[in-house]
Amino acid sequence: MQLSEFQARFKDLMLDNPKALDNPPQDIAAFCMEGDIPLSERLKVYRNNIVGSLTDVMLATFPMMEKLVGREFLEMMARSFILEHPPENGCLSTYGDGFAEFIEGFELAASLPYLPDVARYELAMNKAYYAADDMALTAKSLGQVPPEDLADLKLALRDNVHLIVSAYPLNALSVFVMQEHAEGQFDMGQGGDKLMVSRPQLETQTLILKDDEHLALTKLHNGVTLGEMVEQVLENFPEFDFQSFLQKHIALETFLALNTNI
Amino acid sequence: MKKLMVTTTKSYGSFPPASLPEEPVGIGLRTPHYEDVLETDLKLGWLEVHPENYFGGGVHRHLLSEARKKYNLSLHAVGLSLGSDEPVSEEHLRQFKELIDIFQPFNVSDHASWSASGNAHLNDLLPLPYTQASLDKLARNVETSQEYFGRKILIENPSTYLAFEGNEMHEDVFMNTLAEMTGCGILLDLNNIYVQAHNHGYDAWSYIETIDPRHVGEMHLAGHIEQKAGDGIILVDTHSRPVKGDVWDLYKHAVEKIGVVPTLIEWDTDIPDLATIVAEADKARAIIQNLEMPRAAE
Repeated sequence: MQLSEFQARFKDLMLDNPKALDNPPQDIAAFCMEGDIPLSERLKVYRNNIVGSLTDVMLATFPMMEKLVGREFLEMMARSFILEHPPENGCLSTYGDGFAEFIEGFELAASLPYLPDVARYELAMNKAYYAADDMALTAKSLGQVPPEDLADLKLALRDNVHLIVSAYPLNALSVFVMQEHAEGQFDMGQGGDKLMVSRPQLETQTLILKDDEHLALTKLHNGVTLGEMVEQVLENFPEFDFQSFLQKHIALETFLALNTNI
Repeated sequence: MKKLMVTTTKSYGSFPPASLPEEPVGIGLRTPHYEDVLETDLKLGWLEVHPENYFGGGVHRHLLSEARKKYNLSLHAVGLSLGSDEPVSEEHLRQFKELIDIFQPFNVSDHASWSASGNAHLNDLLPLPYTQASLDKLARNVETSQEYFGRKILIENPSTYLAFEGNEMHEDVFMNTLAEMTGCGILLDLNNIYVQAHNHGYDAWSYIETIDPRHVGEMHLAGHIEQKAGDGIILVDTHSRPVKGDVWDLYKHAVEKIGVVPTLIEWDTDIPDLATIVAEADKARAIIQNLEMPRAAE
């Protein structure tokens, strides 16, 4: 067997139903030596390492979900997800893209419709935590832009900034489940959230956004100029206060620095 | 974790290019021990981390820069997948080099194994058939990495649980040949030698005899577990226990044969308190001191 073929076949076997290891396919079996230790036991060590280590990665990323559904259930979902969506590269700290959509189709989680949004929220927290340390826009550097150029300016959001919309109160839910002794009932029907998850310096934070503020950030994120953004937000929210929006998010270090060659 | 205040996240300062640590024994720096390592003065020559845990930015990278101010550093990768039939990922190389440029490690390393096939990265150090064809692919990827980093890298012998009918040579010869083909160094993991020797019925001591001492740039020590497998026992390299007595003996033999090189104590699961790991490092240092061995030639 050629190296490429062996690696592809071995990968498929590792991501197959666990029972496949009890009777390894003939071509793999013929390629491997056995000795005192049965081949299936040898293969299971690799399989356990792969699935076990990736499950640990996911447990670290989704602590809130673990509190909500329990470790066993999360591990079960994670194992199924890992076999269907193994990591695409060796940078695992932000592994988990697609988990929310996977949960949407996971029958056993159908009675927990808020779970996909919890996955999105926790993945955003994790991505913010590990985001590249890019530079934030400062009031000073914005002040150096000629006033006549401001309307055509595009402000990008920093790598650590994530916007989330949910029909569920994710922020309150997070505070509720992550407290040491979560007791009592949580009202999932108290209304949804528009959130910004970010990490201005070293601390990851969650901010509840007003509707106009969320729309403004979304527009900027989509590459709309400042001028167009203000116009479009005002159409929906005539009370939108652009100056205070700008000041607030410069202070929060939401925007990427204008000059990339610092 | 303690709250840390910094004024900017961009700059980590710059570290001077590292020479080999004077004190030969180091430990793997893992998240639970950051605070202890930063706040106490330990008799350690150096620290090791997996670069993949520091890709991107944030708190981890900031803490690493604090640790680097106190200790020499080795960047020991687990994700380059150098043994893959496919070329090594350029994005992985780019992120890795960014860390090398910032933190100026004295050693940079990865393994003689593969993790990636097609678009799946399996996050384990998977075994290679020891054939000329595998050597050619591995050598190509090692050369690509060395060119990209502009420096020599070390390649570690993996723990293996599978061996292949088509093997054309044993692992020790495979490692020597790789070093000769590419100019890379060998990172000799004594626990891995012990584990694979048991699992494949090979002689760990003759492995040490075969390895060309001129290539060895670092040694690793860790604990393994015994697991029942059919009628036999399979050894699994878990990095979850103290180093076994037999592995210490093998280390002593390796130091006698090869000389003193930077030596790492690895502990990655069921991580105990820092003092337990430092005590393992003390054991390694005592072996070196009792042998009064000269440092291996670079």
